Amino acid sequence: MESIEMDNAIEAINLTKYYGRILAVDNISFGVKRGEIFGFLGPNGAGKTTTVRLLTGQAKPNSGRAIVAGFDMAREPIKAKGLIGVVPEVSNLYDELSVWDNLIFAAKLYGVPRDAREGKAMELLEVIGLSGRRGDRFGGLSKGMRRRLTIAVALIHEPEILFLDEPTAGLDVQSSRAIRNLVSELNRDGMTVFLTTHYIEEAEQLCDRVAIIDRGRMVAEGKPEELEARVEDRTAVDLCFGPNGGPEDGLRALEHVKGISRLGDAFRVYVDDLKGFLRALGDFAQENGLEITSINTVRPSLEDAFVRITGLSPEVMRVEKEPAKRRGDVG
Amino acid sequence: MARMPVEGLIRAFHIANKDAKAYYFKAPNFTYALLMPVSLFMAFSIAGPADPKLIAPGLTSLVILFGTTSIEAVAVVLERQTGTFERLLVAPISLPTIILGKALAGLFFGSAIGIAVFAPLALASGVAVASPPMALLAIAFSSLSFSALGVLASTHAKWVPEAQMLANLLRFPMAFLSGAFIPLELMPSQLRAVARILPLTYSVEALRMSMEGPGETSAYLLDMLVLALYSLAFLAIATSALRRKIE
Repeated sequence: MESIEMDNAIEAINLTKYYGRILAVDNISFGVKRGEIFGFLGPNGAGKTTTVRLLTGQAKPNSGRAIVAGFDMAREPIKAKGLIGVVPEVSNLYDELSVWDNLIFAAKLYGVPRDAREGKAMELLEVIGLSGRRGDRFGGLSKGMRRRLTIAVALIHEPEILFLDEPTAGLDVQSSRAIRNLVSELNRDGMTVFLTTHYIEEAEQLCDRVAIIDRGRMVAEGKPEELEARVEDRTAVDLCFGPNGGPEDGLRALEHVKGISRLGDAFRVYVDDLKGFLRALGDFAQENGLEITSINTVRPSLEDAFVRITGLSPEVMRVEKEPAKRRGDVG
Repeated sequence: MARMPVEGLIRAFHIANKDAKAYYFKAPNFTYALLMPVSLFMAFSIAGPADPKLIAPGLTSLVILFGTTSIEAVAVVLERQTGTFERLLVAPISLPTIILGKALAGLFFGSAIGIAVFAPLALASGVAVASPPMALLAIAFSSLSFSALGVLASTHAKWVPEAQMLANLLRFPMAFLSGAFIPLELMPSQLRAVARILPLTYSVEALRMSMEGPGETSAYLLDMLVLALYSLAFLAIATSALRRKIE
């Protein structure tokens, strides 16, 4: 029998979900404390979106329970849903309605009192910088604006908990930064945030605690620095070679190399013995006539921890999901 | 459905209002609702001028049937395709409330086009409408019943063309077998039995009785009861089908 921490904003207890014969979420348990940003980190298809669907009452688990804002999602879904805001992976407001009408419709749907609706909508438009576009149709906005408005709509009823599914996926740097700043501000004001992302740096930057999910299973959980501490026995070295570049296969075959990933023109090489590796690298460069233009040892990052824990390449996390995302997809 | 609280009903109205604003009250929807039934009537009229008492209720019911099922057939499936249905699913409202909201939009739309067709037809044909309130109620009940049928088709489809195909499978046999074109009394007994299981039959009959007056009240009330029961049954089946699909 699992113990339930009732002070938690979210409590997932042995959640399991099948779509047909596909096991999308496999016996996941975790708790999210009130007032924290909890990151759910994993590659596309790992089960992040399915977990959000289970926690927000869009799908029922085959087994397990979800307690959200103090209410069992299976028994009192309407009470729980009234206390959460949900931003799905796709900005899914009504293309045919204006910015303003989308906000007001959401306010009505969530039972915001009539005399508070317009004031709240105006306030949110100011926050997301769209007060000058209130008459524009949602379908005519840029991707970044659509995302910001989708977040604003999720905030119209001042929820206790905000679920953000891949909030910055596919956005430009400026829009992503604006959204991350907004999430940080909301959290500073006391809102609990459950965030799924496949961007490791986003999880590292925003989250108080992170769970790593892979193929439907939760493989690690903790503060980013705790996860990073797990890989301190393994050093990373960033290498740049001269104009001719360096042979990845040759590097991979060197003594003491435990993993390798590309960072643009550079390589990040994970080694279990720095001195031994540097000796082997020197010999390798000399034998192959390679010029090493820069070499840096780096502190283990969340990405390093992710690589070690999941055995996946960071490249896997940089693969964007197919644009068409529909209900019932495993994700 | 039976214990829907007032707050749920209010939110269903908000959904209906949103649907009307976003999708329904647009010129192409009105055009299609009128075009198909009028074409069918013109084809049937080639043999000779039809009885005005037949035209007004028959054509009005058909316009409501084609209008509401056309818009409602896409009501759920379109939102599921575009992802907006998730907005409704994460809101603090029950699935029956969402389904009712969808059907209410059809009730408004069907009533608007029903009145717009019935009033001029009744005036032009020179046949007095004995009880206008009975006619209005018949239009409203017919609109709700056919909307619910459209929602039911929509919940069973994976994409919009499939929903329209399902709606056509329901609409066209009904149009010919329900007494809209040919009075039931002139039909063979087997076809009359089939007509008695079709909601359109009760819609045409109720409108006809509203033209004939209070003498037909008990038969009229029975027609309304049948239309109401069909509405409830269609909405309940649609809710159950959708629940299975999304969970």
